Amino acid sequence: MERMLQPGRSVRTLGWSVICFLLLPVLVIFPISVTDRRFLSMPQHGISFEHYANLFTSPDWLGSIGQSLVIGIVSSAIAVTAGTLCAIGCWRLSSRAGEIVRGLMLVPIVVPTIVYAIGIYRFWVDLRLLDTYTGVILVHAVTGVPYVVITVSTALAGFDQRLEQAARNLGASMPQTLWRVVLPSILPGVVSGAIFAFIQSWDELVIVLFIASRAIFTLPRRIWDGINEHLDPTMAAVAAILILLSALLLVVDLSIRRKREG
Amino acid sequence: MISDRRTSWLMIAPALALVTVLFFAPLLRVLVISVTEPSFGLGNYALLLTSASIQRTLLTTLRICVFTTAITLVLAYLVAYVLTHARPAAQRLMLLGVLLPLWMSVLVRAFAWVTLLRREGLINKALEALGLIDHPLSLMWNETGVTIGMVHYMLPLGILPLWSAMRAIDGRVVAAARGLGAGPAQAFLRIFLPLSLPGVIGAGLLVFIFSLGFFITPAILGGGKIIMVAEYIDGQIQETLRWGVGTMVASTLIATIFLLMVVLGRIVDLRTLFGAK
Amino acid sequence: MSRLQTFAEDQAEILAASRRTLLKGGLALGAAAAGFGGPAQAAPKEVVLANFGGDAVKAMTEAFVVPYEKATGGKMVIDGSGPSNGKMKTMVLAKNVTWDVVDSGLGGTGELGPAGLLEEIDYSVVDKAKVTPGFAYKYGVCNYMFSTVQAWDTSKVKEKPTLADFFDTGKYPGKRLMRKDSQAMLELALMADGVPADKLYPLDVPRAMKKVAAIKKDLLFWSTGAESQTMLREGEVVMGWLWHTRAVLLQKDTNKKVTFSFDGGLLQPGLWVVPKGNPAGKQAMTAIASMQAPEGQVKLLAAMGNGPANPAAASLVPSELNAINPGAAENVKVQAKIDADWYEKNYAKVRQGFLDMIAS
Repeated sequence: MERMLQPGRSVRTLGWSVICFLLLPVLVIFPISVTDRRFLSMPQHGISFEHYANLFTSPDWLGSIGQSLVIGIVSSAIAVTAGTLCAIGCWRLSSRAGEIVRGLMLVPIVVPTIVYAIGIYRFWVDLRLLDTYTGVILVHAVTGVPYVVITVSTALAGFDQRLEQAARNLGASMPQTLWRVVLPSILPGVVSGAIFAFIQSWDELVIVLFIASRAIFTLPRRIWDGINEHLDPTMAAVAAILILLSALLLVVDLSIRRKREG
Repeated sequence: MISDRRTSWLMIAPALALVTVLFFAPLLRVLVISVTEPSFGLGNYALLLTSASIQRTLLTTLRICVFTTAITLVLAYLVAYVLTHARPAAQRLMLLGVLLPLWMSVLVRAFAWVTLLRREGLINKALEALGLIDHPLSLMWNETGVTIGMVHYMLPLGILPLWSAMRAIDGRVVAAARGLGAGPAQAFLRIFLPLSLPGVIGAGLLVFIFSLGFFITPAILGGGKIIMVAEYIDGQIQETLRWGVGTMVASTLIATIFLLMVVLGRIVDLRTLFGAK
Repeated sequence: MSRLQTFAEDQAEILAASRRTLLKGGLALGAAAAGFGGPAQAAPKEVVLANFGGDAVKAMTEAFVVPYEKATGGKMVIDGSGPSNGKMKTMVLAKNVTWDVVDSGLGGTGELGPAGLLEEIDYSVVDKAKVTPGFAYKYGVCNYMFSTVQAWDTSKVKEKPTLADFFDTGKYPGKRLMRKDSQAMLELALMADGVPADKLYPLDVPRAMKKVAAIKKDLLFWSTGAESQTMLREGEVVMGWLWHTRAVLLQKDTNKKVTFSFDGGLLQPGLWVVPKGNPAGKQAMTAIASMQAPEGQVKLLAAMGNGPANPAAASLVPSELNAINPGAAENVKVQAKIDADWYEKNYAKVRQGFLDMIAS
């Protein structure tokens, strides 16, 4: 499909300027991560990699990153599965009931986390899920579902329902239709939803502070620990590493594609 | 068709069950506190009319969030538009720019902004070095700094859904308009923009709702003087233990957002927004 | 000092307690050091001490956990999750308390005490004589002392500023830093306005608020200890009111470029509180009594700068640490003392009023 409304040079420049704005703090984090002081700051007398060293040798930090990874991946997997199915279901229904369900799915984003935290604490006491992986994973899955529902629904907005019907009429089963007709089309929506669901779990602090105590010590808790003394530059090292890894993945992806096309 | 509807409900079921059991049930038990503490009745809700402190908090929050959402939408639209029309390699690069900031936890981000925006920060130093300003700009410890920090956080949240929606716009409609003689500006204003409007409303709603829950970023970037409703609620629940007041403000917030969605639903048919045809 | 004979009566409470999960990483320090175990039947119940994490975990482990475990043969474990009032209320109401002894303060006893969420301190076990007079309360007992003091940037403020100078932005231009909480801020504001230290209570709140509001546009507010240090260190503010422990760290980090004084400070107690229905029951009081030992408190002073609560510790404090000890005689002389009763009655309302004022 030809895009006949190519943006002019000025529009493109503005667009890329916004991208630069987005990247500004990302760039700043690198010098901050090599500060020679023991608190978050720009380097004063020289650079030091001690915070990276601390990150890779500290069982506390590595453990926290591991926990956050596990919790994030599992909870976003649950959120993506349930959320995508729900979004597709509501879309197929296209009735008042479907709208209401979709609206309900958005509520977790709307509610201040502290209010939810004291509610789920009570519940987890009864189910003995306090300070457990399961407890945190389930909570993060619930808070992740809205993101998936929104992004997938938005992607479905452009998907022609008749394509789905046509596939069914041609004899494809529901799972087949979903997998081979609908999903490929809405994949960007699903992936964005997965990313947001993961990041919200990765960053979530308030609820974890309530429902975890000693066993579960996710990365945000680790960062928050000792906030009364100083801001540990190790958190900048963590961010820097993650950013480098993502950038690396992109470079690899780009070069693979270029090879495939060339 | 009956089994079709049943299939749809089956697909909805897991998420609905999850959210009902693990979210709504515990939440309602908490919100009920707004009418039971410190005594039965709507006494807490009466505070909405009598407490200047709550009213001011709500107004400040509203003002900052509306402003943030508006700026975010404009910028996000710009980026999404360029993204949609870019070559695959450029697209990937842009997406990287959009996604990389997500890796920075909120504290790290806030601190990065402090480093950039403060009086002796990198931005002021650069502007002074380039001779563009005489004395440092006051970009931090005020609503300007808070808005900058919040917009930065929200942009990915606005760009991705908008891009998703724009991709879906059928290029042939635009091509047809051009073919019929419409200039590029006309084609944009009268074909593309209206078609993208549901995406804009959807992204705007998401960004607005999300920004209402902000409090760490405004607390740090505002020098401690900008207290938004999420921080207010947190204070009532965590410090002063006035749970009745805290849950009341939370309930009010939720109700307001529902109202907003209903009103928006009248203006823009939410069904087309979310894809039902 | 141990009350092993009460173990039997606490048996019933174990049934209601939640499961304890095993420790990881650094928190295992204390457990490893103790080495005393024995069959679970004979040893006292494990006591969980909750504090704000970070350096406090290691410091309190050495100062309190090790001596306790040696003396009683029981285990003590530190949970650094940061005990907010809200979390304590949630725990107590849900009948699932996982903390026995909590490092709190007047903000805690003021809110949780009247709400019936704390156990009364058992002064037949905890020794009132081992607490600085005036700092042993019904629902909380002093664990260490700290102060709110004035710190300043010596490169911008050449002579030692008085409290009144804090409000004089003409004499010393630049921003000021206060805590985002009324506690200690109102007292210092009143003293800056000329109220004598012994005539502070009941606080003339409108007068204090007016004083603070006058320089509002030049005021910034900190919520965490790290913020208070960062603002002064990076030169964002010229003068600030913060905890003396952070001021001490700042002085060290900036090589005395930022310095502070106890003059015109406010002496405040940290308080051990026991949430109602705590799992280890009466053992919590034994633990508190154990932590009154002066040697441990001096260790805490050396590690974190928190002043000993036990008057007997004064003779054990090495003279070089007296400069940073808020409870040392020479420092107490120049400070005001906080009044717990006033806080119990007034804190919630005044704090909210303060926050409203700075946000408007």
